[in-house]
Amino acid sequence: MSDDLLVETHALGKSYPLVFHARDRLRALIRLLFGRRDVNAIPVLRDVSLRVHRGESLGLIGENGAGKSTLLKLLTGVLTPTTGTVRVNGRVGALLELGAGFHPDYSGRDNIALSAALYGLSASETRAKLDEIIAFADIGRYIDEPIKHYSSGMVVRLGFAIIAALKPDLLITDEVLAVGDEAFQKKCVRWIEEYLTNGGTLILVSHSMYHIQKLCRQACWLRDGHVAASGDVYDVTQAYLAYQEAKSQTSDGRGDDAQRSALEFHLLDLVINGHAGDSQLVLDRGASLRAAAHVNSRDGRVPVIVFGIARADGSAIYGVSTEMESVRPRRIDANTYVAEITFPSLSVLPGSYVVKAHPLDPEAVRLFDTIERSVVVRGESREFGLVRLEHEWTDVDRHDVEHAPQMISALAR
Amino acid sequence: MAALSLTLHFVRREIGNRYLGSFSGGLWALFQPLIQLAVYSFVFVYVFRQGAPAGSNVGYVPFLFMGLWPWTMFSESLSRATTVIQDNAALIGKVALPRDVLVFSVVAGSFLVQLVGFVLICVVLRLWGVAVDLAALPISLLAFAQLFVFTLGFAYLFAGIQVFVRDLAPALPQLLMLWMFASPILYARESLPASVQGYLDLNPFAPYPQIFRTLLVHTAPIGVTALAISTVVALAVFAAGYGAFRRVQSHFEDFL
Repeated sequence: MSDDLLVETHALGKSYPLVFHARDRLRALIRLLFGRRDVNAIPVLRDVSLRVHRGESLGLIGENGAGKSTLLKLLTGVLTPTTGTVRVNGRVGALLELGAGFHPDYSGRDNIALSAALYGLSASETRAKLDEIIAFADIGRYIDEPIKHYSSGMVVRLGFAIIAALKPDLLITDEVLAVGDEAFQKKCVRWIEEYLTNGGTLILVSHSMYHIQKLCRQACWLRDGHVAASGDVYDVTQAYLAYQEAKSQTSDGRGDDAQRSALEFHLLDLVINGHAGDSQLVLDRGASLRAAAHVNSRDGRVPVIVFGIARADGSAIYGVSTEMESVRPRRIDANTYVAEITFPSLSVLPGSYVVKAHPLDPEAVRLFDTIERSVVVRGESREFGLVRLEHEWTDVDRHDVEHAPQMISALAR
Repeated sequence: MAALSLTLHFVRREIGNRYLGSFSGGLWALFQPLIQLAVYSFVFVYVFRQGAPAGSNVGYVPFLFMGLWPWTMFSESLSRATTVIQDNAALIGKVALPRDVLVFSVVAGSFLVQLVGFVLICVVLRLWGVAVDLAALPISLLAFAQLFVFTLGFAYLFAGIQVFVRDLAPALPQLLMLWMFASPILYARESLPASVQGYLDLNPFAPYPQIFRTLLVHTAPIGVTALAISTVVALAVFAAGYGAFRRVQSHFEDFL
């Protein structure tokens, strides 16, 4: 195993034994003592082969019960595989579930010592790091109180402070960080970004495609205990979202449709850059976005159509309606209207976005229907915020003049 | 190295736990043997007027304590170790913790605390005028080491079984009580009818009271063969207990 390969699993599988009765437990004990493994079992993970190299960031996605937690427990060594092998090189820092690995009756200080001992630090190494950890956690006198008196935010602060001080080769975490307050979250994100730029390796489990796409380059989608797709983060998340969409349509789409057609106005579709359907769209940064919405008007009246762009987390970026800019949807037949809008060279920064369309009544008062399409803008950027504002530097020294045009053209691409 | 520092941490934690939240802290470790000594002296010497047993040249109380203290170490370690995996289920399910460290630290913690009590009792008895051979204390450490290995074997076995079959922990106090009366702790081997004495050889704990009495209060010495057999038995118990534990430990998480 080369030095660069941090995690390698080969045909990894895990089954949990079926134990309904006390006598099943006794039978299992006797079988294990005599070295047999054919205990009645339900497989929860099958044939998972993964490789994570140093410096990579892998997002793990999948529905509840798909085996994500089991896989993480196998990687951290909490569980022993039923079949296959798992090899992990280097020091692993896991920040999962609230307060996992802490003893509720012990003080923060004692729990730091426990975690440090579990990471294999000696007592003197732990003492050396203690002040750094306490300063990072920043929970004041609570450090000498038992963990059971902590708020959930404090538990996460302490957990993250320990991870930050240990500087693991591989960091495994989930959305537990979201428990902290905003100031602390920023501190954590800054630390993780710095950790990743310094060659750290990350495995992130999340149900938020926004976070996965923001922090990870690769993704792995687990479905019913096996790998449904793995590879580039955009490809995998797109496949996952499409699957989710298809699933929710087969389950409740029909009733929904009937309800919608009864509306005075309802959307027939939202076509983005010529693509209909529900799959996620990936755009390059600065590409143009063309959105067309077809609206059915029950009584043949002309609707007002609104288009909007929001961030994947729901915060609105821009919205505009046909009525605001004195245009009218074009009539196709007695009951169908269309409006198309184009944003030439979309100025949003890389990330996940949602394009929405809504029909309104001709008075632009009542909103009737909504269609959302997710759009990913790919690319790298060190700028802050949501959109790139037009700007020029007016009183500065320019160094590296020869490279400047190249950089600008790179940005434009 | 990492395993050593982890083990040390857990042993410290185990000892700290015993006195966590108590006023006197570690002082209890000293008080408890003294109180026990006072109570046993009162009951057996003043109430029952129990004389020195056959083949013993010291009073009943020193004779009793040489057997009772090793038993306390053994039985206390076992009752703590049997449930230690279950008690730490929350930790075992969340972090990759070597399971054997938990069992080891419980037994080691018990032995260290009780060893302090044992030395204290020997010193107090000596001051009281009992012929306890304090010079033999360092050598008796070897006997304690053997008892430790013996205890560890049972501790691993019981801790492993308890995860799968939960009936062990509730049955353990009764089992230990029977075992105690079946061992020559309150009585000397020689006090038993000759026809029954042979059955004591089936009890693997039986040699220990005799070993400590031989070393410290010079009763009728234990035979060399019996001593050698007890050493072999201790090692065999350890090998079997630890082996069984190693076999089943990777499946604890599934059954906790």
